Amino acid sequence: MNDQQLITDTVRRILQDKCTHAVVDASEAGDWAADLWQTLEDNGLTLAGISDAIGGTGGELADSLLVIREAASVGAPVPLAETFMAARLCELVGAQMPVGPVTVSNSVLNLKHQADGYRLQGLATDVPFATNCATLVVVASDDAGHSYLCLMPLADIEQQVTRTMAGEPRSAMVIDCLLPKNVVFSADQDLEAQLLHLGAATRSVMMAGAMTSILEQSVRYATERQQFGRPIAQFQAIQQQLAVLAGEVAACQRAADSLNDALASLNRLDIAIAKARISEAVGAATEIAHQVHGAMGYTMEHGLNLRTRRLWCWRDEYGNEGYWQQAIGRFVVSRGAENTWQTVTDAG
Amino acid sequence: MFQGLQFEPVKLPQSSVALRAEVRAFVEGELADDYLRNSDFNAGESAEFSQRLGQRGWIGMTWPKQYGGAERSFLERYVVTEELLAAGAPVGAHWIADRQSGAQLLKFGTEAQRLEYLPRIVRGECYFSIGMSEPDTGSDLASVRTSATRVDGGWLLNGSKIWSSGAHMNHYMIALVRTEPASSNRHAGLSQFIVDLQDPNVTIKGILNLAGDSDFNQVFFDDVFIPDANVIGTPGNGWEQVVSELGYERSGPERFLSAFRVLVEFIREVGASPSEAQLALIGRLMANLITLRRMSISVAAMLEGGKTPITEAALIKDLGNTYERLVPELIRVLAPVAPSTRFKNTLQQCVLHAPSFTLRGGTREILRGVIARGLGLR
Repeated sequence: MNDQQLITDTVRRILQDKCTHAVVDASEAGDWAADLWQTLEDNGLTLAGISDAIGGTGGELADSLLVIREAASVGAPVPLAETFMAARLCELVGAQMPVGPVTVSNSVLNLKHQADGYRLQGLATDVPFATNCATLVVVASDDAGHSYLCLMPLADIEQQVTRTMAGEPRSAMVIDCLLPKNVVFSADQDLEAQLLHLGAATRSVMMAGAMTSILEQSVRYATERQQFGRPIAQFQAIQQQLAVLAGEVAACQRAADSLNDALASLNRLDIAIAKARISEAVGAATEIAHQVHGAMGYTMEHGLNLRTRRLWCWRDEYGNEGYWQQAIGRFVVSRGAENTWQTVTDAG
Repeated sequence: MFQGLQFEPVKLPQSSVALRAEVRAFVEGELADDYLRNSDFNAGESAEFSQRLGQRGWIGMTWPKQYGGAERSFLERYVVTEELLAAGAPVGAHWIADRQSGAQLLKFGTEAQRLEYLPRIVRGECYFSIGMSEPDTGSDLASVRTSATRVDGGWLLNGSKIWSSGAHMNHYMIALVRTEPASSNRHAGLSQFIVDLQDPNVTIKGILNLAGDSDFNQVFFDDVFIPDANVIGTPGNGWEQVVSELGYERSGPERFLSAFRVLVEFIREVGASPSEAQLALIGRLMANLITLRRMSISVAAMLEGGKTPITEAALIKDLGNTYERLVPELIRVLAPVAPSTRFKNTLQQCVLHAPSFTLRGGTREILRGVIARGLGLR
C-alpha cells in the first residue's frame, strides 16, 4: 500500500466515523465539529504535506490535496483548506505554523510600520470558521507595496458571523490592531498572488471531490429507486443524463489532478484552468444530480445537499469561472492567434 | 468506484519535442498561404500531401518495421496526428487507413494481408473506407444485412454500405457483413472483408452532404467475389474485431479538435483589445480544450500499455464532440459585426459540418449508453 492509499483509507475511515450527516447538520446550527477536527489533527492529517520544520507532518503537497478533496466530498465542516493555505504561506516566509485550526483572509490588508511593531488595518470579509480558530493568517502590504504575512490572534477581535448557502460560518471583521514583530514576516515574493492561487487550487480539489461524490450518490439512487416497476437506472433518459454527469466529473477529476504538480510550482495557468473548468461544470452537474434524485434530493434530510450547496459556494470563492476564464483568455490573446496551439501543447 | 472514469496524468515522452517541431515545420512548408485551414479530419484530402507525409515516416508509425512502420510509440503517433489537425492540414485521404484499417489488419489480418497492404498505407499510397453503416443500419450495427454466401474459394457479397467517406477516391473498404444467418446472438455470424473498390461489381454513388460536398457515398455490392485471402481474421468474429478497435477510433484528438481553426481565427479577429466577454469565451474554450487533450493523452497511454479503454474512449468522444459542437455556436455570438473573409469562411465551414461531429464514429446516444454501462447502470 502506498502513502497516498494509506492517507485515503485513513481519512475515509475518520470521515465515516466523525463526519456523519448529523455532525454536518449540527455544524450548520452552530456546533463546531471539534471531535472531527481533533481526530484529523491527531492523525497528522490537518498538516499533511507541510514540512516538519514549520510544524507539519511532512510528505507531498499531493497528500494535503488528497485530504482536502476527501473531506470536501462529504462536506466536512472544518477549515482544512484554510489551515493548509495558511501553512503553505507560512512555509514560504519561514514562519512556524500554529497548532489547531487556522483560517485565512481572502483579502489583502494594509500594514504600517511602527517603532515597536506593526499596525494591521483593513476589512476582512467572508473568513471561514473564524470563531473556531485562534489565529487568522493575513497577507498584508505596506505603503511601498511590499508583501508580509501576519499571524494575527483572533481572541480579541469582534466578528460578525454570517452563513453561506451551505450553512458554513463566514466572519467579517474590521481590523485595526497592533502586532508585535514576531508575528509579522516579510516576504520576498508576491503573497497576494500566492493567496489567490492557493485559494483557487484548494476550492478546485474540493469541488472535484464533491462532484465525484454526487455522481456516486446519483448512480446509487438511480439503481435503488423504483418507478414504473423497475429501477429508474434502467430508463435511457436517466442513463443518458448520468453519462453526461460522468463526463463532467471525469473532466473535473482530471483538471484537479493536475494541481498536484501545479501547486508546487505555482503554475498559474494550470490553476486557472482547474478553477475555470470545474466551476463551469458545477451548474450542469448539480442540476443533473438533483433531477435524478427527484424531490427527495431537494430535502434537507437527504445528503445530496451537503455537497451541492457547497459546490454552489465553492465555484464562486477565489474567483468564479468568469474571472479565471478571462485570466486565461488574456494570456492566450497576449501570445497571439498563431501561438494558440503552442499554448495548448505547452500546457502538457 | 466506477469503471472508466480515471484519466491518470501522463507526460508525453521527451522524444516528442523534436518530433513535434519537425512535423510543425513540415506542415507549415506544405500549406499555401491562401489554403483554408480546417481541423476537421474529414475536411480535406490530398494524395500528394499523404504521400509526402508517408515519406517522412508519419503514417503507420507505430507498426513493425517489416511492414514499413517506424515502431514508434502510440504517444509519438499522438503528437503527429494532433499537430496535423491543429494546423488544419488535409489528412482525409490516409486518415482511416492509418488510424483504423491498418491497425485492424495488423491485429487480425494474415501475414500475407499485412505484407500486401501495410507498406502501401505507410507510403501514403493506399486509402481505406469504413464499411459499417447501411441504409437500414445506423447505430444498431449488429443489424447489418449486407451478406455473403460461401462459394468455391471465397464469398459472394451482396448488399450495400452507406456513409462511406471517400469511397470514390479510396482503394479498399473494410466491410462488416453477415456470413451466417442471424440468430438469437445478434453479434454472432458477422465477418470483416477487404473489398476492392475498383471491382467492376462494386458501384459507388456519391451522396451530397448539406454543405454541398460529395464526401460520402453509398456503395453497392452486386455479386462481388471476395477471395478467402480478403477475409480479415476469423469468419464470424467480425463483431469482436470491430469492437476491439473502438478505443483507437474514439479517443483521439480528432474527437475534440474539429473546430480548432475557428478558435484560432476568432483570436486573430478580436485582436489586441478584446472585450471581457470575448476573453472569457477564449479562456473557457481553452480550459476545456487543454483538459480534454490531457484526458485523451491518458487514453493514448492506456492504449500504449495494451489496455482496451472502451468507456474512457466513449467518454472522450462524447465530451469532445459536445465541445467541438459548442465552439462555433459560442464564437459566432461574440464575433465582430464585420468579420474578415477568412474568419467567415472558417466559421461557415465548421457550422456546415458540425452536425456530423456527434454522429460519425458512434452517435452521442450510443456513446452515452457505453458510459452508462461503465457506471453499472446497464
